[in-house]
Amino acid sequence: MAQYRTQVRIIADVLSTARDMNTEGTGVGVTALLRRGNMSYTRMSKLLSELVGSGLLLELTGEKISKYMISEKGVQFLAAYYSFEDFAQSFGLRL
Amino acid sequence: MTPGPDMALIDALLQFIGVFVSFSVAYVALKGVRQTESASLLRLALAFAFLGFGFFVESLVGLGQIFPSLSISATDVVVGGLLLETTGYFFLAFSHAVDVVLSKRMGAALLIFPVMSLSGPDLANILSILSFYFVMYGVVETLYSYARTKKPDTLFIAMGLSLLGVGTFFQWLSLLYQYVAVLSLLQIILQVMGLTILFTPVLRFAVGGVKVDGPI
Repeated sequence: MAQYRTQVRIIADVLSTARDMNTEGTGVGVTALLRRGNMSYTRMSKLLSELVGSGLLLELTGEKISKYMISEKGVQFLAAYYSFEDFAQSFGLRL
Repeated sequence: MTPGPDMALIDALLQFIGVFVSFSVAYVALKGVRQTESASLLRLALAFAFLGFGFFVESLVGLGQIFPSLSISATDVVVGGLLLETTGYFFLAFSHAVDVVLSKRMGAALLIFPVMSLSGPDLANILSILSFYFVMYGVVETLYSYARTKKPDTLFIAMGLSLLGVGTFFQWLSLLYQYVAVLSLLQIILQVMGLTILFTPVLRFAVGGVKVDGPI
């Protein structure tokens, strides 16, 4: 059964993808984020600009495409997310 | 039967433990709300804040016994405390109900809801039995969550909620049979044991918690 994802869960998924797939330190493209994020391009674009605006992601603008990298604030958010997810799960709830 | 000052002191002390544990859980959940803006954590924080206030108000009954000069109306205080507690348990059940709706899954737990009927016209009785329903709904949904995640902590919390549930059942009995003083004490002991188990995630959070200041 497909699991409902809350907005905070979607943000955490995008951030963790940007962190895990950035193996070369040059950032992650939208295509890779879309593949792992499981959402439409329009929705992803909107989310990415929100995350960049709030400082959770860094946008590395190239000649043709933009790439994204998790910021220090994003790493802190993920740490907080995993801790509180664990806390909520203890009560049988999802974040 | 009115409990003596010794019993009232134990009662008030145990209620204060309930206040401490409830507010601790509410505090951690609220911290989570500030950092992740999670609606689930907000409902959890509200649930435990109401429970904390409920226990605090009920502890006033014991204080009224110890210090008669306070002239606290026991009936009003009990009903007020129970109303707050029931609201807390409602938010706890509501959190699970929202989860059920969002995951488009019919909660089997809902089936247990109408099994018992209300016992009488007394508001305190109604609130007690409602609390029992809400907690037991929370227990079944938490057990369902355990079946999904296999996380031992979740099973532990389900045990804690079960003790709380049995405690609220004894609370209902103690209102029906007020001359059996031990029922009231049993209720408080079970509820505090349950709350102490619920305190475990808070403790773990305090030990290995995140080091983030303010909202992200």
